Parts: sequence; C-alpha cells; structure tokens
Amino acid sequence: MRALVPVLKGLGYGVAGYVLGGPALGAVVRAAGLGFSFDLELVTGSLVGTVGWLAGVGVWEVWARGWFGLPLRPWPDEEGVARYFRFTTDHKVIGIQYLVTFLGLLFLGGALAMLMRWELMRPGMQLLTMNGFNQVMSLHGIIMIAVAVAIFLGGLGNYCVPLMIGAHDMAFPRVNALSYWLTPPVAVLLLASLLVGGWDSGWTAYPPLSEVNAPGQVLMIVAVVIFGLSSILGGINFLVTIARMRAPGLTWSRLPIFVWSVFAASLLSFVFTQYLAASLLMVLLDRVAGMSYFHFARGGTPVVYQQLFWFYSHPAVYIMILPAFGAALEVITHFARTPLYAYRWVVGAFLGIVGLSAIVWAHHNFTSGMPDWMHAPMMATTEAISVPTGLVFLAALGTLVRGRLWLRTPMLFALGWVWNFLIGGITGIFNADVATDLHLHDTYFVVGHFHYTIMGGEIFALLAALYYWYPKITGRMYDEGLGRLHFWWTFLAFNATFLPMFWVGVHGMNRRIADYPAALGDLNWWISLAAFALGASFLVFLYNFVVSWVRGPRAEANPWQASTLEWQVPSPPPVENFPAPPVVVGVPYGYGIPGARHAAFGAAGGSEEA
Amino acid sequence: MRPGALVGWWAVLTAVLLGLLSGFRGFPAAAAREAAVADHAFRFLLLLATPVFALVVAVLTYSVVARRGKGDPPEPPPYVPEHPWVARAWFAATAALAAYVIYNPGLVGLAEMRGVPVSAVWTGASSGVRLASLAGADGDLVVRVRASRWLWQFEYPDQQVTSRELVLPVGRRVRFEVTSVDIVHSFWVPAFRTKIDAVPNLTTFLHVTPTRTGSFEQTVDLRVQCAELCGVGHAIMAAPVRVVEPEAFDAWVAQQGRR
Repeated sequence: MRALVPVLKGLGYGVAGYVLGGPALGAVVRAAGLGFSFDLELVTGSLVGTVGWLAGVGVWEVWARGWFGLPLRPWPDEEGVARYFRFTTDHKVIGIQYLVTFLGLLFLGGALAMLMRWELMRPGMQLLTMNGFNQVMSLHGIIMIAVAVAIFLGGLGNYCVPLMIGAHDMAFPRVNALSYWLTPPVAVLLLASLLVGGWDSGWTAYPPLSEVNAPGQVLMIVAVVIFGLSSILGGINFLVTIARMRAPGLTWSRLPIFVWSVFAASLLSFVFTQYLAASLLMVLLDRVAGMSYFHFARGGTPVVYQQLFWFYSHPAVYIMILPAFGAALEVITHFARTPLYAYRWVVGAFLGIVGLSAIVWAHHNFTSGMPDWMHAPMMATTEAISVPTGLVFLAALGTLVRGRLWLRTPMLFALGWVWNFLIGGITGIFNADVATDLHLHDTYFVVGHFHYTIMGGEIFALLAALYYWYPKITGRMYDEGLGRLHFWWTFLAFNATFLPMFWVGVHGMNRRIADYPAALGDLNWWISLAAFALGASFLVFLYNFVVSWVRGPRAEANPWQASTLEWQVPSPPPVENFPAPPVVVGVPYGYGIPGARHAAFGAAGGSEEA
Repeated sequence: MRPGALVGWWAVLTAVLLGLLSGFRGFPAAAAREAAVADHAFRFLLLLATPVFALVVAVLTYSVVARRGKGDPPEPPPYVPEHPWVARAWFAATAALAAYVIYNPGLVGLAEMRGVPVSAVWTGASSGVRLASLAGADGDLVVRVRASRWLWQFEYPDQQVTSRELVLPVGRRVRFEVTSVDIVHSFWVPAFRTKIDAVPNLTTFLHVTPTRTGSFEQTVDLRVQCAELCGVGHAIMAAPVRVVEPEAFDAWVAQQGRR
C-alpha cells in the first residue's frame, strides 16, 4: 500500500487542483460580475488539476522544488515495486509504466469495440441509443489512437532503445518521466468526459459539430493537447538519445533497424504534433472565447480545420507504423537467423516515408470541397508512398527467403504482420485513387483499411515485439503453447472480422453509424461474431503474460541467441544497464557471417567478447 | 533455394486469383455514368494488385515451407552477399508500377469522373469548388441540396420545386449545388459512387449523369445518405432517390407545382 502513496497524492492534488482551478475560480470570477462559461471552467480546472497531479506523483519533490531555490528531496532508491508508482527516471521502469498503462487502455478500447459490435450485430437499435453509440465510437477511436501513438515509442522504445544503443538511460531522464506522467491525466480526462455529456464527434472532432456538442468535447480537446505535449517531449528525447548516446563504434550504419524506426517516428512526432494542438485549440477558442474560425453561425470556414488536422494526423499514422516496421523486421531477421536484407534501402525507405508523409494529408479531403487542383497531386504523392513501403516488404521477404526460419511466437506474429499489412497497403491504393475514393471515403472500406494497417500492421508487430522482448523485460519466459494459440486465434479472428468490412463498405455501409440498411444485416452479424472471437483471443494473451510474469520459468540473458546489445546483459537488465561499457565492433545482424560480432564489453582491465 | 519453384508458385497463384476475380461482380447497384467510371477503376486496381499480392503471398508461403529451419534456434545459413541489382530492380519496378497507377486509373479515372481531359485535372478546370459566377454554366439540370440536422432538402430552382425526395431524369447531366445550414454533412448516393461534403458557408459542386431508372424501393443503394458524422441522427440521415424517364420527371414537376 505504501507503494501507492505518490499516486494517491497525485490524485488528491489533481482533484484539488481541478476544484480550485475550475469551479472555484469560475465562482470567483462570476461573483466579480464577469462571464466564465462551464466550458472554460473545464479547461482551467483540468489544466490546474494536471499540474496538481504531476506535483503529487513526485515532480515537486525531486525536481520542481529546485526551480524555487528549495532543496530537492533525495530520489527514492530504484528497486522494488514502488518505483513503478512514482515519478522515476529509469527508462526501463518508464517503459514498463507505458506498456502496462497503454495495454490497459488497449483492452478498454477493445471492450468499447465489443459494445459497438453488439449494437451493430442486427439492424435497428438494441443495446445503445444513437447518441450513446456515437460516444462509445468516439471514445474507442481516441483511446486506440492514443494507444497506437504511445505504446511503441513510449513502451518498447523507452525500454529497448537505450539498451540497444549501449546507453545507460535516455538523454533527458526527467523529461522522459514527465512524458509518461502526463499520460494518466489524458486517460482520466477522456473517461471523465462521459460525466459531462461525453462527445460524439469521433476522434477527428470535426467542427462545427465539435463546437456545438456536449461539454465532454472540451475535456477531449484538453486531453489530446496534453497527450500531444507528451508526444513532443518523447520525440525530442528519442532524437537526442539516438543521436548523442550511442556506444563507441555504434555508427549509424550499425544501428539496429528498430532504433532507426524509432528515430524516424520521433522526427515526425517532434515536427507535426503541434499542428494537431493548433487545430484543436482553434476549436476550443471558438467554443470558449467566441472566435469564428470554424463556427457556422459566425461565418467560419470548417474545411480549414480538416486541412490543418490532417497535416498532423496523416504523419501520425507513420508515427504508429514506422516503429512497427522496425520491430517486425527486427524479429524477422533474428528468427530467420540471417542478416537483414537490403538494410540500407530500408533506412532510406524510413526517411523517405518521413519526407513523403508531410505532403499527402489532403487525401483525406477528396470529398471535403477543397479546391479541385489539389486532388491530382495529393493522389500522386500518396501512391508514391507505396515505393518506400515496398522496400520494407523487400527487406522482410528477402530476409525470409534467404533465412532458416525459427517459427516461435514472435516470428508467427511477424509473418502475420506481412500478410495483414499487405492487405492494408493494397486497399490503401483504392482510398488514394480519387475515382474509387469518392465512393469509398467514409465507408467501412476505410474502416477495414485502417484496421488492417494499424491493428493488423502495428498491433501484430507490437505483439511480435512483446513476445520477443518479454523474457528481457520480465526475466521470465512466456508459455510457447499459449503464445501459438494466441497467434492463430487472433490472426484468424482478425481476418474474419475485418475482411468482410471491405465488402459492406463497397455496398453502401458508411462508417460511424449506429444503424444501417437491413440488407447488410447478415454480414454484420458475421462481423460481430468474429469480433467477439477476436476480443476473446486477447484473454489468452492477458493470461499468458500475467501468469508467466509471476510463475513462468526464469529467462536466460539471451534465450533467442540474438546478436544485438540488449541480449548481452542479464534478464531483466540491472539498473545501470551495462556493468561493463559496450564497444560496438560490427554489423548488428551478423548471422552466418564468419567472424562477425556486434559488440565487445570493455571493462577497465580487459575485455570480454559478446 | 530454387528460384524456379518460387516463380512457378507465383505464376500459379496469380493465375488462380485472376481467374477468381474475372467473375467478380461484387458491386452494388450502379445507376450513373460516374458509377461505371468508379467500378471500372476499382476492377482495374484489383487486377493490378493481384500479381503484387500473389508475389508476397508466394514468397511468404515458400519461405515457411521450404526455408523452415531445424533446431532451437536453427543454425544460421551460410551468408551469401546481396546482389546489388535485386534491390535496384525492385525499386525500379515498384516505382514504375506506382507511376503507372498514378496515371491510370489515377489521373485518367479522375478526369473521366469529372468529364474533362486528363490535362485539366492539374489545373482545377473541372468541378469541385468554383466561383459562384460560374454556377449553372454546366449541367442540364441544377439541384440545390440543403443539408441540416438531420434532413435533406432538394430545391430545383429552374422548376421552382422543393422536395424531400431526390427525383432525377435519366440521361441528363445534373449539377448539384450542395450546402449546409449547420454542421458538415456529406451528400452520398451509393448507386452513383460519388459524394461531396455539405459545408456551412460554402457551396460545393458535384456532377452526376444518371444512366438507369430505378428507385429506393427497388434498391437501398438509391438513397442520399449522410456520410459525414453529424451527431445523433447521422445514421438515419437519408432520403430516397428516384431516377425516372424525362417525361415522368416533367409530370412529377408539374404535380409538385400544383401542390
């Protein structure tokens, strides 16, 4: 229980901050005869509340006191369960905090999806009201977006990148901790929005709908802006860490491919997240300050929001998928026991995707009423992204076909990633092509497409990576039989759920609807059943990971006999990561190359080979 | 590794998939010139995607079957240096394919959809947003679409008719002038395969030439369905569409005028 003290303190300060900064401030201002809307109360309250939360979990004692010339409290020691429940700087602790938090949110978002599929199982309304459905759909969307953005970089990036580059921690450990501790308020605000009417405008929050709906929208906007701050801080941290903290000898051309992918995604996160904040802040100003950016009654221009919003939100999908590319290729090369094929081409492809992702945003707007001359260039740039993505496939296939495959659970998920992302990628062309997209836009064809890319692509790569690094992170081995069961169950149920969505989309089922034409009832019934099976398959994963963490057999330092640095230290690694500093002497994936090795460990007196 | 086996497997898979797709009739009812363009582009993209899909699946299955290792972990295979031309050829082939898809069905389909030459799609000399002064200059029939939460209203300015049902004469190029009085909606008729958002403080344009008579009672694909999330009534924000012979349209107008 003592372990929970910082979190409870944070909650207390957070609630107190909310009350003082929101309702109390509002009452004072109103008593002075000035206006102070409920929307504004929610904004100031949640901002002050977030500051209170941060102060309570430890920022005040170990960091912020110094800003006021007060002596800092000593850092609590870095052992034991308590470190997971307070502001602490070890990147491995922060990685686990991110992973557990966002896996929890993944399950919550999945449960919301089950609610939606229950409602959509039959035409007509059964379980939810139409407004209730829209709120559940919106919450599912934003939670899954947050999971998709944060779980790879925040979770596995934090845990693995410093280990893989031979560093003792991230470049800015306190900023790293701040990035994580900003995320619980995001989850709380999103869920608390249900108490003030929720919001029904989807994760995209297009105005003017998002300016005339319930006050829950305000909490969503504040939550997303705070989440964006966390993303930007995380992006900066990864860029500096990877640029400046690599072990001696770890040149850019020897960098493990996962590290490269985190670097590329962090570039996007650093550069583009501000545009999301800008677009949402304009909506907020329309709501609380009577501005007229987008409001229909004040002559606003709603299509401008869509341009600004997608200027972030399309690059955001590459923040999600680039680390997934890196992780899947990482798993494929280790489990094919052969060097990664076309390594330099893949690095080029990652950077090409970073560049191209900045000039494709308006393919979301082919039907929005934007000027007609933008259609052709945006279609061209969007379809051009298939070229660097094709190089990622070249690397995966080239490695597979030259390898000796070791079909353990991580590899199964990586192979599933190839299949799913293939379908996600091909259907993307249909959405990028104007002639077909005018029909497919905002239908279940799009829903199928982005679930194939983000769930089938990113989450399958995430599962591959979680099984791969599980023994390193927990020091225990998961159950291989249950892992395989999880793979086949999830893979089959996933495809059974999302493949028919392309069909119902083409046949006139638009997205984000609580009800649909009766003619589509049979297929929706099937999709719902498959979705329930998909949801249930994750219980196998949960059981396997929880039980193995407590009772699984102890893992060796390097159960996969993998070549990269994180496997050359004990499982789990000690607080300082590398008792002896590593020196990198060769390529990361030297499988089958006579005499090749990646690293040596030079202690003061001698060296020990890895 | 026997490359011959892999190429053969790819060829067989491609042939089988193309055979399956040749009978593909999986489209909803089509009732407009634009629907034919969209369906043609869709089918063409499916055909182009087939060998690509088959290649990846062929390599994937071949690897799992023929390159499966023995042992925990398997002994790494002897290293063979990469042939530099493989990646270069892959890059060139995918770039050429992407360039072709951008041209056809990309630019070609966009031009056909708009009914303009391919060269015009770069300059914006087709439909979409246009100066109001050009309104009515192209199109045989103008229909002003007014979206509100959660209703569609269709105004025929030349006929001086306003309706909650969208009635169109077959074979005439219709120019829709779409706007909204509150939030963003989207004007979509699945049987026409095209949509345009209804945006407040803005008039957007869409051209459709119905080519087949029919009605909502015959197929739900002939409905105006809101395709942009607009709150509580979004799912049921729909209006029936009826495409009729020109004489029947004139009779309908006359009947509406009498009321």
